Amino acid sequence: MSSEPIERRVSYLGDRLKGSRCTICGKEYFEIRDYCGNCGRKSFGKMASSDLFYEEGKIDVCTLVNEPTNKFTKLGNYIYGIISFHEGKIRVPGRLTDRIIKSGEQIDFSTLEGRNVAPRFRRRYSVDKADVIPTISLAFTFTDEYYPHQKYKIVKPKKEYDTPGIVGYGVYTSKFRIKEGSIERSVPFIDEDSITAAVEAGKLALIHSGIDSTLIGKIYVGSESNPYAVKPIASKVAQVLKLGEEEDDVQGVDAVDTEFACKAATSMFKDATSLVSYPKSNISHAMVIGTDNSQAAPRDCPGGELDLFVGYGAAAYIFGKSDVIAEVEGWYSCTSDTPDFWRRDGQPYPMHGGRFTGDPAYFKHVRKSAQKLMERLNLKTSDIAYFVAHQPNIQFPVRVAKELGFKEEQYQPMLLVVKFGNTYSGASLVGLAAVLDIAKPDDRILVASYGSGAGSDAYSLVTTGQILEKRQNQKITVKHQAENPFVEYVDYTTYRRLKVGM
Amino acid sequence: MQNRPTITGVGRTKFGEHYEKEPEKLIEEAWLKASQQANIERKDLEACYLSDYFLPITNKLGLEEGFLSELTELHAPMEVTRSFGSALSNAVNAIQSGRHRIVLVGGIEKMTDRWDKIRDDLMLLEDPWSYYAGCTPEANHELMLRAYIKKYGIKGENLDKLNTALAQISVKNHLHATRNEYAQYQRKITVEQVFNARREARRPLGLYDYAPISDGAAILVLTSEKVAGEFIDTPIHIVGSSSATDYLTYPEREDMTHFVATKIAAKNALDNAGISHSQIQLIELYDQSTVMEMVSLEDAGFYESGKAWQTIFESCQKYEGYYEKDGRRLYVNMNGGLKADGNPLGATGGAQIFEIFTQLRGEAGERQVKSAEELKYGCTLELEGFGTKSYIYILGRD
Repeated sequence: MSSEPIERRVSYLGDRLKGSRCTICGKEYFEIRDYCGNCGRKSFGKMASSDLFYEEGKIDVCTLVNEPTNKFTKLGNYIYGIISFHEGKIRVPGRLTDRIIKSGEQIDFSTLEGRNVAPRFRRRYSVDKADVIPTISLAFTFTDEYYPHQKYKIVKPKKEYDTPGIVGYGVYTSKFRIKEGSIERSVPFIDEDSITAAVEAGKLALIHSGIDSTLIGKIYVGSESNPYAVKPIASKVAQVLKLGEEEDDVQGVDAVDTEFACKAATSMFKDATSLVSYPKSNISHAMVIGTDNSQAAPRDCPGGELDLFVGYGAAAYIFGKSDVIAEVEGWYSCTSDTPDFWRRDGQPYPMHGGRFTGDPAYFKHVRKSAQKLMERLNLKTSDIAYFVAHQPNIQFPVRVAKELGFKEEQYQPMLLVVKFGNTYSGASLVGLAAVLDIAKPDDRILVASYGSGAGSDAYSLVTTGQILEKRQNQKITVKHQAENPFVEYVDYTTYRRLKVGM
Repeated sequence: MQNRPTITGVGRTKFGEHYEKEPEKLIEEAWLKASQQANIERKDLEACYLSDYFLPITNKLGLEEGFLSELTELHAPMEVTRSFGSALSNAVNAIQSGRHRIVLVGGIEKMTDRWDKIRDDLMLLEDPWSYYAGCTPEANHELMLRAYIKKYGIKGENLDKLNTALAQISVKNHLHATRNEYAQYQRKITVEQVFNARREARRPLGLYDYAPISDGAAILVLTSEKVAGEFIDTPIHIVGSSSATDYLTYPEREDMTHFVATKIAAKNALDNAGISHSQIQLIELYDQSTVMEMVSLEDAGFYESGKAWQTIFESCQKYEGYYEKDGRRLYVNMNGGLKADGNPLGATGGAQIFEIFTQLRGEAGERQVKSAEELKYGCTLELEGFGTKSYIYILGRD
């Protein structure tokens, strides 16, 4: 779209599926209305804002689009239809996403119609590489498939804590995987990128936390694969998830992107923790998201070895001092200028300093941060229930865990790289989520991230009794996504096509 | 009835691809025919109403009125609208009010000049939110068919009949177009071809269910009944007209299976004319798709909702040039409809009026309706977008 104001408006309404409801007669509208057509003048000022972002709809009728308009050609074939919400009181157009339709595949539309769907936040269509990336939530998936529908229920906080910590988290990976040897990796669908994953993960974290999104005063998004060289992902997340108080289409939240290879997000855990503790910040909650759809050169090109491990996904964590599920007990970070992985501005793919990657880089930093933190807190490995490390492959986290003296039962649960691949900024966070999904109250978790370039952040977390009750809020757990029967495996050619995206 | 709007001349070009002809050439061609028939000169025109959807995009002509002024060397009032129906509505008002005596209504479109992008243009114009969600100009028709089948619980043998009836609509329109020298596709097709195209498309409707994109122009001269007598012998009157409007976003409409704008406009136009459905013998419908022709027959009130396909199916078992229900014959899309005559958006409605005018005057040659009773009333239905606007004109002769 060439018109920036139109693009902004379509995103503003379409990303969140904003609408209005007449409080007099109950009529619902997609798009914002100042008045109700039924009630006329008396409805002025009586229209409630509404949206369908967390709702479950039903696909009324559908058809196949195999000769799309120009902007949709990269999507190939897809199912398009009419989605109704609230027993047909409101209807929107939509396309089914996360669906590869093979050429010649015959579709019986009656098997799709009548089924329930939920909106997904995706890229809208393709535009010139120089343009703003258009997004929309008029993309849907079946709720009886990979992503079940989840309600966003805001709960009044029950308990205040002295020590701040995690109050909710969510992990988002795609339905698609590539399986090569012993490793499976998540593959973004063609309309996904690190922005869409960040929003989806944030949505899951809000659902899990049960906190009101307007309470979040700061959002940090760590990524090394932002599709923009200049423009934050965090601003999109803030607007779509309605973080902070909204006034005049502006969110009362501080939003910022961070970058430090795979530790861009873990680095901000301590900032979020500190921010919510500082009494004059007026910020009760902060969100940290690690998201990546890291670029990787094709296998036969320089840097192509990264293509063996790169995954796709995001993890979001909300920090605060009420209804905490894991208190942040302490941290230690270390840094050195070790350029083992880099991407120069304007280059499509990162490069990789092969011989540095292991010892002078990963092991040295992860070992150091973990050991220093344990020293500081006077911890032995036996005090720690679970150890979580950054996982660029299977060998590295296992080796460093063993070197630190952890036993298999302490590190095994975090090893999700075999299911999702290396999710870069999300990698250690996905591992942490897998552990939080199964941890008991009063378990201590040691997390040590790693970011090339190089540095590591280690945190010690102690779970609380509330971890069990909040677990009920989340159906889309790490396990749900790792062992989902609706996972779809693609071949290498398809994987490259999907990854390059629209 | 001194100011009753009366058509004194019509002209059109062949519809199809006219990449070698600029818009002015097409307008000129249609004007020459219309003005000869109406027996007038350019200087007799007191106002011009031109319709086009995409001339500013396809031919970079943004101020079409000035373009037309240059062509006609006239400085009369000129207005531009999208559909021929809306241009004609302005002209009708001008004549009825007595403001003007003789006006021109013209429509022009050159869609093939932008064949590679026109579907995006069309979809954005017709239903932007659906466009953003991935809709195509065809998809809404297919969704309407899906909704129709569900709403009326059509299944089994009846569903086969419905699908066949839709194919027969296309076959019938192609057959009519073989007798229309202006038509874009003057060739017959078969029901099998329609079905094969659907199978190939893997969708409820295929290539032969849809009207093409076209270039073309159509023009008519409108006067008052009183003035018409000064120029010609067999004037055709606009005895009733109406229009109605519906939501832009198709999924937001209350009824997914019908065009409410047509229902309203048809009823009002008949009231306006003071006649009933049974007096209308022929109709030119806006068949952007075969579904649209079927649904429009119901919306315009000729057949019961959910049942038009039965009449179409029965009538096409041994097609004799008309649909027949309870012994009443209805001649539909005698020019081949949008499907075979062509669909240059801004000019399409002009071709519909051209057909009814020509038929009522008994000048349609090979395709002249041979009705037992004398032809008296014909009707046109033109839509804008996917049924967002509906224009109905009822034409009658003395």
